[in-house]
Amino acid sequence: MIQIDSLKKVYGNTTVLDIPNLRIPKGQCFGLVGNNGAGKTTLFRIILDLVRATEGAVLVDGENVSQGEQWKTKIGAYLDENMLLSYLSPEEYFATLKKIYGLSEAELQLHLDKFTDLFNGEILGSNKYIRDLSKGNIKKVGIAAALLGQPEAVLLDEPFENLDPSSQIRLKRLMLKEKTDHLVTFVISSHDLNHVTELCERIVLLEKGAVIKDLHDRNRMKEELAAYFNVG
Amino acid sequence: MLITLIRLQLLKRIRSSSFARSMAFGIVAIVIGSFLLAYLFLIGLVLNTLVKEVMGVSDAVLVINSSLLYFYLLELIYRYFIQQMPVISLGNFLHLPLSKSRIIHFLLGSSFVSPLNCIALLVFGPFAVLEILPLYGAVPAATWLLAVVLTSWSIHWFILWFKQRFEDSQTGLLFVSAVLFLSIVSSYFSFFDLGAFFEPVFTFALESPVPVFLLLTVGILSYFLCFAFYRQNAYLDELSTGDHLQFADRDLGFLSRFGLAGEVANLEWKLIMRHKKSRTYLTLCLVFLLYGLIFYGNPSYQVESGFSKVYIFVGTFITGIFMIQYGQLFLSWNSPAFDFYVHQRDGLRALVHGKYLLFASISLLCFILSVPYVYFGWHVLLIHLATFLFNLGVTMHLVIYLALWKPKPMDLNKGSMFNFEGVGISQVLVILPLLVAPYAVFLPFSYWFNDYVGLAALGTAGTFGLLVFRRISSLMTDRVIQMKYEIASAFRQEL
Repeated sequence: MIQIDSLKKVYGNTTVLDIPNLRIPKGQCFGLVGNNGAGKTTLFRIILDLVRATEGAVLVDGENVSQGEQWKTKIGAYLDENMLLSYLSPEEYFATLKKIYGLSEAELQLHLDKFTDLFNGEILGSNKYIRDLSKGNIKKVGIAAALLGQPEAVLLDEPFENLDPSSQIRLKRLMLKEKTDHLVTFVISSHDLNHVTELCERIVLLEKGAVIKDLHDRNRMKEELAAYFNVG
Repeated sequence: MLITLIRLQLLKRIRSSSFARSMAFGIVAIVIGSFLLAYLFLIGLVLNTLVKEVMGVSDAVLVINSSLLYFYLLELIYRYFIQQMPVISLGNFLHLPLSKSRIIHFLLGSSFVSPLNCIALLVFGPFAVLEILPLYGAVPAATWLLAVVLTSWSIHWFILWFKQRFEDSQTGLLFVSAVLFLSIVSSYFSFFDLGAFFEPVFTFALESPVPVFLLLTVGILSYFLCFAFYRQNAYLDELSTGDHLQFADRDLGFLSRFGLAGEVANLEWKLIMRHKKSRTYLTLCLVFLLYGLIFYGNPSYQVESGFSKVYIFVGTFITGIFMIQYGQLFLSWNSPAFDFYVHQRDGLRALVHGKYLLFASISLLCFILSVPYVYFGWHVLLIHLATFLFNLGVTMHLVIYLALWKPKPMDLNKGSMFNFEGVGISQVLVILPLLVAPYAVFLPFSYWFNDYVGLAALGTAGTFGLLVFRRISSLMTDRVIQMKYEIASAFRQEL
């Protein structure tokens, strides 16, 4: 699904990202962990063609993201508030996306119905602009927007941050359901090791822009990560 | 305690991350501000001569007294726009063991230190000294000036209260503007002079100190009205300015015919209506519509053949002020959501086209609204038509092309007056070619042939620009797409 080839990002003299080869197959839940400054967000931005790679390329189903736009129908993403139109109300924002994605009213409603639990009645009909919502609720709007239009892969940067514990569980349930129902590929980054290990069948550990661990064995993930992050 | 609070305010300014930049602009603003205040003072110095010579009346005091009301109505309006509500720093202090009253007194007091509060003194101070002092004596001059200044200061508190009480609703402003407009019109046609109704108050101030005491009481009362309101509502959520859905919750229907670009134009319309800074730009459009009144009827711009060259400038501004002003910050308006457009398929193309669409619609609207200027002669309509076409065909592309030179991010939620965020040297320089361009086309033709041929040349240039619109607009789009990484990374940087 997503293929990263000899990708490098250099700012001045510092290399912030250096990934020789990484393949994310369809339907995989791919977790990205690493301390602050490891390059997680930069990697997301390069995958989404928001930041230019210094060297190398990202391919989505064989299409170079910096050259075509076809891949944009296949990938949904929410990284930060820059990806929202915060001066709209959530309803207006979804209505706008509906038109952009060419969905019908019924399809949008069907989509939003999936989020009834997660939204917890605080998002739709709140009569507020997105910018006036709480951080957690803004994140929920962003995640719902990322999943709109039946994307084949969804990129989420820190999806659990700022969410209350119940919402975190609901979000996890939602993601698992999307994965089993529609074979959606998830690429998520998180500092919460419990959540990633529970959700993801593969976890990649970044340090200073390099992949230092690529874990596939669900049973050993937790220990390995704990060993790395425990600075004692 | 007071000194500590003042010191903290100063530190906040100095240590703000944009200090260096805002200082440069701050100095410019101070210089411009001092010039403006100096001008006002000059007006004050010649006010009595002005009234006597231009209006040809001998009793300048009577005229001024009966015009003061208009001055105050105007003051209400400009204070409404400029005056800042001092609640921004409330959150920093509210949790500290300071009494709320003290905080509010401090905030209100600090709001009082403002050049706006010198205006009445600067304009009418010299008048009191030069005109009233010799005629009536020192005490009447002093009481009169005090009455005038106290009224202005009462308005200061009143506006602070009003803006907060009615949550920035524009209804009150519209009401005041309507009163101002109607009373000027009705007194112009000597139908009913509202100003004369208030004249006795200030005439009375020449004879006795009673009005001063009355106005002092009004001033103090308005301060405490303001104070009581702020004191009672000194909670973060109540004084916060997070507005609810009240602006533009409907789409502009006709735009949806233009597909994705129309959709983006609709979004842009909402963006404009829901941010103070952009709303001001739109209001400016309406103000500039009246700009022609200064020029078209004015005898000093009448020439023997053709029309004054200045009219081209006027026409350009009337039909194009929005695209010139708003367009200067072309992409900066979208800096908080630029990633959104980059991430959407064809998003950037739609964004640029949507803006074209919006500029053209608003320009068309301004052109239509300016049609009544035909009252001053058919040539005015022709000028507007030619400059309108030129704006659509040439200026619009030019603005966009120039604005793509190093766009800067800005925070849309900050106020608009003296807010230079997003403005760099390039944005200031943009204005020059925009002013030069219409003349570069017009002048040669009007020089060799006549003014109307010049207009035809302007119109032709514009029409030609419209014919190749598709080509040029896609060139612009390609430029944006080409530069998207640089723009996006510039926009993501912290302000």
